[in-house]
Amino acid sequence: MQKKILKFKLNGELMELLVSPSDTLVDVVRDKLGLTGTKKGCGKGECGACTVIMNGQSVNSCIVPAMQAMDAEVETIEGIGTSDKMHPLQETFIDYGAIQCGFCTPGMIMSAKALLDGNLSPSRLQIKETIAGNICRCTGYVKIEQAVLAAADKLKASKDK
Amino acid sequence: MKKDYTVVGKNIRKLDAIEKAMGAATFTTDIKLPGMLYGKVLRSPYPHARIVKIDTSKAEALPGVKAVATYLNTPRVKFNTSATSTFTIPPLQPVEDQYVFDSVVRYVGDEVAAVAATSKKVAEEALELIEVEYELLPTVFDPLAAMKEEAPSLHHCEAGKNVPGEKIHIEMGDIELGFAEADYVFEHTFKLPVQKQAQMETQAAVAQVSVDGKVTVWSTTQTPHPSRRILATIFGLPYSKVRVLNPPYIGGGFGVRIGLSAKAEPIALALAMLAKQPVKVVYDRKEDFIASDTRHSGYVTVKTGVKKDGTFTARKIMGILNSGAYCSWSAETPGVLGAMGLSIYYCPNQMYDGHSVYTNTTPAGAMRGFGNPQGMFAVDSQVDIIAEELGMDPMEIRRKNIMRPGLPWVLPYPCQSSGLEECMDLGAKAIVWDQRGKQNQDSDTIRRGIGMAIGTHVSNAWPFCGDYSNAYVTVQQDGSIQVASGVPDMGTGTITTLSQMAAEVMGIAFGQVGITFADTESTPFEIGSHASRTCYASGTAVVAAAQDARKQVFEYAANMLEVTPGELDIENGIIYSTLTQEKNISLGQVAMEAHLRGQQFIGVGRIIPQNAPPYLAHFAEVEVDTETGKVRVTKMVAAHDVGKAIHPLIVEGQLEGGLAMGIGYALSEEIKYDDRGRQLNNGFHKYMLPTAMDIPELEAIIVEAEDPTGPFGAKGVGETGLVATAAAIANAVYDAIGIRFFEIPLTEERVYRALKERK
Repeated sequence: MQKKILKFKLNGELMELLVSPSDTLVDVVRDKLGLTGTKKGCGKGECGACTVIMNGQSVNSCIVPAMQAMDAEVETIEGIGTSDKMHPLQETFIDYGAIQCGFCTPGMIMSAKALLDGNLSPSRLQIKETIAGNICRCTGYVKIEQAVLAAADKLKASKDK
Repeated sequence: MKKDYTVVGKNIRKLDAIEKAMGAATFTTDIKLPGMLYGKVLRSPYPHARIVKIDTSKAEALPGVKAVATYLNTPRVKFNTSATSTFTIPPLQPVEDQYVFDSVVRYVGDEVAAVAATSKKVAEEALELIEVEYELLPTVFDPLAAMKEEAPSLHHCEAGKNVPGEKIHIEMGDIELGFAEADYVFEHTFKLPVQKQAQMETQAAVAQVSVDGKVTVWSTTQTPHPSRRILATIFGLPYSKVRVLNPPYIGGGFGVRIGLSAKAEPIALALAMLAKQPVKVVYDRKEDFIASDTRHSGYVTVKTGVKKDGTFTARKIMGILNSGAYCSWSAETPGVLGAMGLSIYYCPNQMYDGHSVYTNTTPAGAMRGFGNPQGMFAVDSQVDIIAEELGMDPMEIRRKNIMRPGLPWVLPYPCQSSGLEECMDLGAKAIVWDQRGKQNQDSDTIRRGIGMAIGTHVSNAWPFCGDYSNAYVTVQQDGSIQVASGVPDMGTGTITTLSQMAAEVMGIAFGQVGITFADTESTPFEIGSHASRTCYASGTAVVAAAQDARKQVFEYAANMLEVTPGELDIENGIIYSTLTQEKNISLGQVAMEAHLRGQQFIGVGRIIPQNAPPYLAHFAEVEVDTETGKVRVTKMVAAHDVGKAIHPLIVEGQLEGGLAMGIGYALSEEIKYDDRGRQLNNGFHKYMLPTAMDIPELEAIIVEAEDPTGPFGAKGVGETGLVATAAAIANAVYDAIGIRFFEIPLTEERVYRALKERK
């Protein structure tokens, strides 16, 4: 298959590269661009480890054909905070014990961020529904839900200032 | 040791958390080396067959293919993917029944060949070009059928038809006398399903062979040192020329890689040796399901003799577990089932007989709880049956019979601590036990119920298996310290906990501790992460190393301060005389002074752990929809005696995660096979593990009955969260609808059928 040029914004930076039409977005991000924070847990859109935000929506990047990201804005775990200024979700995931093996964490945080980007007062049920497609085998989810709630509070407080 | 701890018992920010939250943590699946090839595996489509002919020439000719491995060009050395070679102590012998590739395949998914190529796509294409001619062999899928004379033999077995290793027999008192003394005897058989670890990172390894033959393998193993031994043995290398390490993180384990990560390491290494280039092997999710160990399914029979007042006089347990096609941990798991199932209650006359049986299914190995959840589903379901027959409250029959410190049991070490009764009382209060049986009106179609179950476990594998730990604590010239332990941190917080213990003993701030871990090249031998042992056993080694370093520091400082070592103490990095406070000096000053005179304080910890029983009481509240059979857990309370919580938040995380996995075991998780030996549930959408929507309110209650054998009193906590979860839920379902289930999971279908049959 002939390779095509893919142009898109990754964490705010313009990217231009050759991809095969059969490449998925997760392959491009992890293998070609070297951002390995996004994980691959099943390759079938069943576990959510590869969740990134594309044009404001959380997507399973393992089932998004790379060419579908043409001209899109894609956000990954590497783009949402720095070690000096972490995203509130990154802080609360750490402080509430929401991270064990850490393999689901990037996808979990990106799913939660997509929710909080549009809703700073989510209910517990909305949080559960949001992360229902993200499997975590370590934590039992409770501390993750608490962390998302706490991050929402933090974001709300900083917005109200 | 001081009682007011400054670091131990505190919820310090976990050492691995920032990297993981930022997406900067490295896992095996993230590794990319210069010149690295991608390995893919051809797997058997048949449950039992002989490879009559295998032709790899077309695959080899495909551009981009650098090596093809089969049984014809890889070592003919038998091994066990699990770390039994390291763990098994004479007179027992480890069962070694696998090759990297064999000419006979014994389950659907068994390894036939592997290809290394410049890309995953080319490797996958090449697999389709390998031509294999199979001669089909007779199959058997059920362990009871596999024990029969006419069943096909999967391996040569000494102990009985298709029985790997030895049959386990445990005995105490006089079982016949115990049954004779009983007023009633109860006997029930329970059937247990295949559960899958389903850790988030699939089995993976990257192997590199240097030009002078030194081997490095990055791997998802839970046990780098034992895994190095397996690889060195297969490939005929000195242990010292093989380095196995985590990179440093692992995406979960739950027992699935105590030893090798299925065959990811030996396949990657065989291909790297053939191709003379680094090779990465990552199992896809389906491979992880079909060709990587599961929990043992099987049958457990419990026979209990009881007096009218509820006192147990005799208990006999029998376990038959499905080993699958290879042994893995199948010689050991039935032993833990029996030992733990017998030890939760005091009973003067006890007996256990159990073993595994080979079948043509995916091998079963270690999974969180290691036989104990299977046994306790049976034991504590039956205790509720007995309580009801005798008209006793389930709490009271347990209170009357639970094991207590000082009483005899079948385990080869004493019970020195127990917070079990406190766990029961606190748990009962939190679930509002008094509500039990009073929540339903006759007309309710959604019926509520409350149930409980209890359990115990181990804090490491000694003395059932070989188990020991070594660690270094090295004082740096500025007074900070470097800990070295070979133990992995698979998400359980181990490196944080070990660093806390080292900081506490050394009397320095947590931030002054650095840790090297999970690397055979930079750490002394250490068994690894399994059997709820890292905090207890690896922790004991780190504490011993820190005490050794501290002693050396105090001797040196005593000379400098002109006092005796015995009067010194250290707090916040300042060494001081407890007799004359003005005699003090910082650890950094002492370390630098020693350095200028050519000395470093190097503490070594070498320990064989003892063992200690953690205890747990689980309480479940459920709703059963009698029109659909749907069981919903609405609340779970888990009160656990953990000895001492070194880091309470980590402990809660372990308990909650175990509960969630236990809820899955009770209600939805099961791998079934079709009549041709193929898994019907080989992916996340077909294997119903709990999502956030399925998890109710979880309340973890920490009880601290400190054990004299554990570091700071700590006991094992990694596995206890699901030991009694299924039994508690099944007991709650009985309370709700009055139907007793002898098989899990309690799927809608199973519950619905039972409700319908009752009508």
